[in-house]
Amino acid sequence: MKPADLQKMSLLAKLALCAWALAGLIAQANAWGFSYGDQTANNQACLSCHGKTGEVPKGTYIDPQRFTQTAHANLGCEACHATVPANHPDGNKVPKADCRECHSGISEEYARGLHASKTACNGCHNPHLVQNPKDVSGQEINMICSNCHNSLEMTAKHGEWLPQSELHLRMLPCITCHTGARDYYISMYIVKSKGDSRFGKREVAEYDELKTMAGGRPIVSLIDTNRDNYVSLEELRVFNRTQTSLHLYGMMTPATVSHKFEILDSRRNCSFCHTSGSGPMQTSFIAVPEADGTFLRVPVEKGAVLDALYAAPDFYMMGSTKNAKLNQIGLAIICCGLIMPVGHGFVRFLTRKNRKQKEHQS
Amino acid sequence: MSEKTRIYLQPWPIRIWHWINASGIIILILSGAQIRFPETLSIFSSYKSAIEVHNTAGIIVAISFSFWFFYYKMVKNTLDKLYIPDEEDIKHGLVRQLLYYCFWYFLGRPSPYHATPDHKFNPMQKSAYLAVMFVLMPLVGLTGILLLNVTPLRVLVLMWGGIKVIVALHFLLACSLLAFLCTHVYLATLGDYIKPMLIGWEDVEEHEEAEPAPEVVIPGYRPVRHYPEYERELLEQRHS
Repeated sequence: MKPADLQKMSLLAKLALCAWALAGLIAQANAWGFSYGDQTANNQACLSCHGKTGEVPKGTYIDPQRFTQTAHANLGCEACHATVPANHPDGNKVPKADCRECHSGISEEYARGLHASKTACNGCHNPHLVQNPKDVSGQEINMICSNCHNSLEMTAKHGEWLPQSELHLRMLPCITCHTGARDYYISMYIVKSKGDSRFGKREVAEYDELKTMAGGRPIVSLIDTNRDNYVSLEELRVFNRTQTSLHLYGMMTPATVSHKFEILDSRRNCSFCHTSGSGPMQTSFIAVPEADGTFLRVPVEKGAVLDALYAAPDFYMMGSTKNAKLNQIGLAIICCGLIMPVGHGFVRFLTRKNRKQKEHQS
Repeated sequence: MSEKTRIYLQPWPIRIWHWINASGIIILILSGAQIRFPETLSIFSSYKSAIEVHNTAGIIVAISFSFWFFYYKMVKNTLDKLYIPDEEDIKHGLVRQLLYYCFWYFLGRPSPYHATPDHKFNPMQKSAYLAVMFVLMPLVGLTGILLLNVTPLRVLVLMWGGIKVIVALHFLLACSLLAFLCTHVYLATLGDYIKPMLIGWEDVEEHEEAEPAPEVVIPGYRPVRHYPEYERELLEQRHS
């Protein structure tokens, strides 16, 4: 081999080594940016104290089960509390990251809304519990708002212009009207009548109650009887006909959530929801409570809330949830009423001479 | 030879009730249609105004319905006699009236029934009004009141089978009322029905030669009231 060839090969080897090192760096960067890896072991060190109510001050307790379900748990405690001193706990507060460091887009959006001057992110979201709005029920979303906005006060205030305001506030997540979302779906959650009576006061069904009713099987099997993680209209009808104490309440929920909270004039116009047609009424999900405080999101066959009677008997939105079959029956009834004027009227016109003749004779 | 006499058929409280009821029901049908089909109908300026008009008209019609019931039942005490068909109406009157509408009318023969203040409605009217005023109107009114107060009357809503059952019932009953309205308005043009409802009086042709109805002697026969033709036939039989 010539010395020139050896030199060439050495250069190629050096280039290959550089490329390998660069690829390794990129892979490592990707691993940090998009796959957080298993942080359970790292979190466990913190949760060994902060996951026990008796061992830490009240405000620093973290529910391990619910924290594990959050996206933040995947990042690990150190992602937000990077500079925990070696002598922790020393009585001093541990520094924490600013939400804006990761959520800059949401932060900018939030700053343009009405809430910006009232509270920061942690006013509504506990970073150790926070979940994607799609993974919780609409009623759960409203509970965050009711921490500051008194329900009775809000009902009275909305009642100044909104007919049946209590009903509206109970059947809608606040963010449906107070953020500028475009697409919607129906989020259903399970409620239970007090005293197992059909007419008892209805409250959100707790996990333990539902678990008992399911008799050891998963709660979702109460509705999704064939356990295919998809609720058909027939399964819904059977559930609504057979269950006396359990019911499904629905909420028109935004598909994409904005953090710009505002008072939108378009939502004061009833037609925004009530003339929305059957489109947004086609998609619905059921939020089934889980043991760890989260919800299992089960898709429902299209058109559940448009069904005439039994698929979603407790969800009705004037103008938008009308049933096509009922419309046809109504039209048939009106047509029956037209038989006399049209049919009789036609023969009456043809025989008009008979009556004129008789009048003339008399 | 005959001359015209006037009878006071529709007293003023009933005339006022009738026209309030009629205009209220027409407004309810129009606003109700916009509420159900907002994407195709915009009769009233906005959806909210359609709802407000519907609610107001519904309350007015419900009050006027209560007034109608109170007036006929308590003041005049003629509700049962006017609206509930008797045995004769069911046995013969209905068929006779149906035959008149389907055949005799086209041949130019007179109506077998003549209205008097105490017997204003022919057997078919009686049956139709019985269904409308004692079944359709109360049901559509009650379902409307429930829909207007879903939260305060929650238990009643559930007792009726839930909000969707009530909405379906309210809609189908309203369609039935509209169907009745079409027939009612058309049939009013077949005789002198509109003028008495406007001014109260009806012009009736009275025959001078008409004698008082003879006493019926046929065993088991019950006299047929207010069918001049039938009474004439009896008279002729008696003379012959």
